[in-house]
Amino acid sequence: MLIGALALAAVLAVSGFLFVRRTKLLVDLVRIGKPTDRSGDLPERVRNEAEIVLGQRKLLQRLVPGLIHAAIFWGFLVLFPTIVIAMIGAVDREATLPWLGEQGWFALMVDVFAMLVLAGVLGAAYIRKVQRPARFQGSHLGEADLILALIAGIVVTLLLWHASRIALGLNEWPAGWSPVSDTLSGLFGDGGATKVLERVFVWAHVLIILSFLAYLPHSKHLHIATAAVNVFFGRTSAPGRLEPLRFDGPEEDMRFGAGTVADLTWKQTLDTFSCTECGRCQDVCPAWTTGKELSPKLLIMALRDQVFDEGPPLVRNAEGFEATPLVPNAVSDNVVWDCVTCGACVRECPVSIEHVDHIIDLRRHLVMMDSRFPSEAEPMLRDVERASNPWGKAQSERADWAEELGVRVLEPGDPAPEILYWVGCAASFDERARTAARSTAKLLQAAGVDFAILGPRESCTGDPARRMGNEYLFQAHAEQNVGTLNEAGVTKIVASCPHCFNTLGNEYSDFGGNYEVVHHTELLAGLVREGRLETNGGAGTVTYHDSCYLARHNDVLADPRELVEAVGEPVEMKRSGKRTFCCGAGGAHMWMEERGGKINEERAREAAETGADTLAVACPFCTVMLDDGVRQRGDDLRVVDVSTLLAESLDR
Amino acid sequence: MSVLALVEQIDGQVDELSLQALSLARELADGEPLTALLAGEGGREASAQLGSHGVANALVAEDERLGAYAPGAWARSVTDAIDRLGTGAVVAPGTVRGNEVLSHVAARLDLPFAANCAAIDERSPLTVTRVRWGGSLLEEARVHGSPALLSVAPHTVPAATVNGADAPSVESFAPALDENDLLVRVAEHVDAATAGISLAEAKVVVSGGRGVGSADGFGMLEELAELLHAAVGCSRVVTSAGWRPHTDQVGQTGTKVSPDLYIACGISGATQHIAGCKGAKKILAINSDAEAPILASADYAVIGDLTEIVPAITAELRKGREP
Amino acid sequence: MCVKRVPLTGGRMVLTADEQAIETRHLGFTISPHEECGVEEAVRIVEAQGGETTVLTLGPPEAEEQIRETLATGADRGILLAVEGEEWDPQATAGAILSTIESEEASGGAFDLIVFGNESADSGNFQVGIRVAHALGRPVVTGLKGLTVDGGRARCEQEVAGGRDVYDVPLPAVVTVLEGINLPRYPSVPAKLRARQKPIDKSSPERPDSRLEKLRLVLPPGQGKQAEILGEGADAAPAVVGVMRDLGVAP
Repeated sequence: MLIGALALAAVLAVSGFLFVRRTKLLVDLVRIGKPTDRSGDLPERVRNEAEIVLGQRKLLQRLVPGLIHAAIFWGFLVLFPTIVIAMIGAVDREATLPWLGEQGWFALMVDVFAMLVLAGVLGAAYIRKVQRPARFQGSHLGEADLILALIAGIVVTLLLWHASRIALGLNEWPAGWSPVSDTLSGLFGDGGATKVLERVFVWAHVLIILSFLAYLPHSKHLHIATAAVNVFFGRTSAPGRLEPLRFDGPEEDMRFGAGTVADLTWKQTLDTFSCTECGRCQDVCPAWTTGKELSPKLLIMALRDQVFDEGPPLVRNAEGFEATPLVPNAVSDNVVWDCVTCGACVRECPVSIEHVDHIIDLRRHLVMMDSRFPSEAEPMLRDVERASNPWGKAQSERADWAEELGVRVLEPGDPAPEILYWVGCAASFDERARTAARSTAKLLQAAGVDFAILGPRESCTGDPARRMGNEYLFQAHAEQNVGTLNEAGVTKIVASCPHCFNTLGNEYSDFGGNYEVVHHTELLAGLVREGRLETNGGAGTVTYHDSCYLARHNDVLADPRELVEAVGEPVEMKRSGKRTFCCGAGGAHMWMEERGGKINEERAREAAETGADTLAVACPFCTVMLDDGVRQRGDDLRVVDVSTLLAESLDR
Repeated sequence: MSVLALVEQIDGQVDELSLQALSLARELADGEPLTALLAGEGGREASAQLGSHGVANALVAEDERLGAYAPGAWARSVTDAIDRLGTGAVVAPGTVRGNEVLSHVAARLDLPFAANCAAIDERSPLTVTRVRWGGSLLEEARVHGSPALLSVAPHTVPAATVNGADAPSVESFAPALDENDLLVRVAEHVDAATAGISLAEAKVVVSGGRGVGSADGFGMLEELAELLHAAVGCSRVVTSAGWRPHTDQVGQTGTKVSPDLYIACGISGATQHIAGCKGAKKILAINSDAEAPILASADYAVIGDLTEIVPAITAELRKGREP
Repeated sequence: MCVKRVPLTGGRMVLTADEQAIETRHLGFTISPHEECGVEEAVRIVEAQGGETTVLTLGPPEAEEQIRETLATGADRGILLAVEGEEWDPQATAGAILSTIESEEASGGAFDLIVFGNESADSGNFQVGIRVAHALGRPVVTGLKGLTVDGGRARCEQEVAGGRDVYDVPLPAVVTVLEGINLPRYPSVPAKLRARQKPIDKSSPERPDSRLEKLRLVLPPGQGKQAEILGEGADAAPAVVGVMRDLGVAP
């Protein structure tokens, strides 16, 4: 026994040393990250932990792989005490964990969960080796195979150990309660060979566990430690809200965005440590799906590699060491600019990695520090700055669309309307988006809503600038608009553009603008429910495209659908609701060229395949992009805003 | 009042814009003598063409140093001519050189200079209408100074001819040039690297704006241009976005074109751009927005998607050519 | 480098009630495109050869905004001649700029290069740079698309039919540049923040009498022209070709 104890101590020491040394590095790498406030909202954080970690909610978004993982995960939670039992048993053949080691129900759980884990491993092996889904492209499959093998090894040695103990009569628990082990025990006699095997199995079990322990923080499997922490510190605020920067610091602090690993926040570093390379994000990324360079998974992996490369010298404060630019060393410019900020990746990620925040921070550095961005976006940025709208049109012409409709334009000093209709730059200046504004205005008038528009005083919310990474320009506009709105005494706003809706409702509060903001589909649905607007069917079959900034970033799903149902026969696309597929205009892509396959055509294809007559949208960008996509493909599909469908139904 | 008109010529051929300026000069002269001033090689030869434009006398400044263009030397020629003739006004075409030379004259004589005039409103006191914003706005201004210095905005006044006029009498003189006048002169001429139809001289221009969408999108415009022997132009947004070089830019700060037909594809029609193409005889706008400002400046329009319309036009043109 | 604050007009011009100016209430402002390129050119020369760029403007007090933009591009200091009310005619403008330059040069030494835009986007008088140069007795080359400063001389390139004309003048000199001479940079945010601290000297000169006296502004006739719609979409192609044949431009 003494030898056993010494041996165990030695192995524990080695394994523990390796584990601790590596973990210390990981902790240090996270600690040198820039600060970010992830405190507050404690109840929500606890709830996320319970649902996402314990409940495996996000993993179960894909049912079969989710169940496989859940089996392994829950199995490990249940089997955890068996590690201690095994170590005790390795040292003293006759001993076990007091009380727990003798419980039949525990032994039953162990058996059942061990089998579940094994089933999970086999299922995972099947998926990885036979099905070979595309989401694993670029992942380190060898590492994954090793981990699965080690897991299998752990449960197999456990079961065999239990089996051999039963065969030798050493089991402290009633054998009948562990049917699997009991059955397996039939393989063993009660002789000397089994005695040896019993020792072999327990030590194999312990050694596998301890080598796994040492291996763990050196591999992507370290997610089992980091994931739980990452989920706890995940975003609790609206997904569509970006974290503002401060520009009033001293000159030395003038570094904006993520230029090198030294600029990453601790959460971003933790993100890179939590990635298991599962590829679910990659699968749903519109850029990757249309053949572009960007894969959210590969992005996080590349950042992780760079952290491991250049983080340690920073931790050590190595003399004269300067971290190298992330772009283009770790990440290419294309990867940064391909993103449409649709958030599908963030929605899928089971460990709460926030890919969009990474992209935005990379963009912030490129745009605000290096002026390094696609040249075709420069006119947009200059126009937002000088002309107050991204199309460089004259603000004096902003209310022209409303001229014939007799819409009230709020002048300085006028009393505030009950609700302010924030039209947005697109609806004001783009001819396709204008129809939605006209329809909305007509509907509001028909329902007798007291509303007004700001007209020329409404300047761009700054969303395209912010999504491009030009936080400085965005804040200038935010402050200006908040000033205008607050002075006018506006408290309630309806926006027909989901980007305006998101920015006004979620982001302007950081700048003193606190308004009740609704999307026009929410307001119109409410009016229909109240009976202030009547609807008539007859629009034919309609498929509704969820805008990313409505559905995913802001949970607006039901109201637009109510409206569609009221005017036509709805038919859903496969990728709908929070699973919606982007139109391709987000992330300032309305103003950037698209290399490779066209996201809007991909979505148009999906819409056309439903066989519907009409593609209903609720966003001016989606209107333009999907209309372009439909025309390019020659589909027989009418792309129209929900408000126009409603207005047309009114006339029927 | 007696008027002196600066006339530009290349190799003995009078420039079109100078002929337009002569119309305004004649109106200003209102019956009194109109003298043309020519400088540089070929001046004497060119002067013969001026009779039909109402020029009675031509003054040709001759000096071998006037071979290469030097604004100071031309300005000296003008001031010397003013002294000889005692003119009440000097009129030049609103070309790069015309404006430059008269600016020099104005500086030398400390006189006001009304550049880019489109009309004479009153002769005494002299009030003119001049062009602002490249033509999108007009200014009525009174000129307080004598002689009055005016340049004529291109393509605002037609080059009218007079019937039955004789060729002008020609007098040559040598302007009293000093070395300061010649300090700034053309030292060398570098030929353009690329051939191809020059935007400024093309009879047809196919131009693209934001609506074209990308650098590649210009392919269909280039195809149409080739068929029409046209030059390809673009709006300022396109050059700022990096899709086409600045040399293709049509607009107030780019090239000002005066083709027979200007085809504006996906161009919204900001005044900045209109300033560059309003010299066109006819403008055809191809735009998806029926309310785009360009329709207020265009003669014809097609509403719809330019990616469908432009190839359709190209195809229709090709059809017509097949035997 | 001399710049001018001008409004960003849209698709149509609207005049104030008194017909003296464009209604700029909801318009954005910028400096003329020629001048933007001039600032970039000046900053590049200083970056390559050392020295300092001073930006001067004569305009309303709000023109400080435009100076700050040039400072963000890389100019070192600004001078604002703040004037309000009546517009200054080109001769008066040149006079004020001249006095400022003369007093600057008296204390700081001569400017090697004084840069103007070829003409301002709004009034387009073409003459301010030349007048200033003449008063200073310096050579002036206009309409530049290329500029190289080396060894006390400036090599200046103008675009003409068929190529470029090249001038070679000694410094100190005055040049006026055209858009297209370079592609102005997009300033970084630190540059913008630093620009807020750079010095701007302000003064308010008195306006002399106008010798080119603006009486009023007028919208050109035919601004309400409505195009003849030839058709919609690709179906209009035959009509278009018909027009081309009538104009004599079809192949």
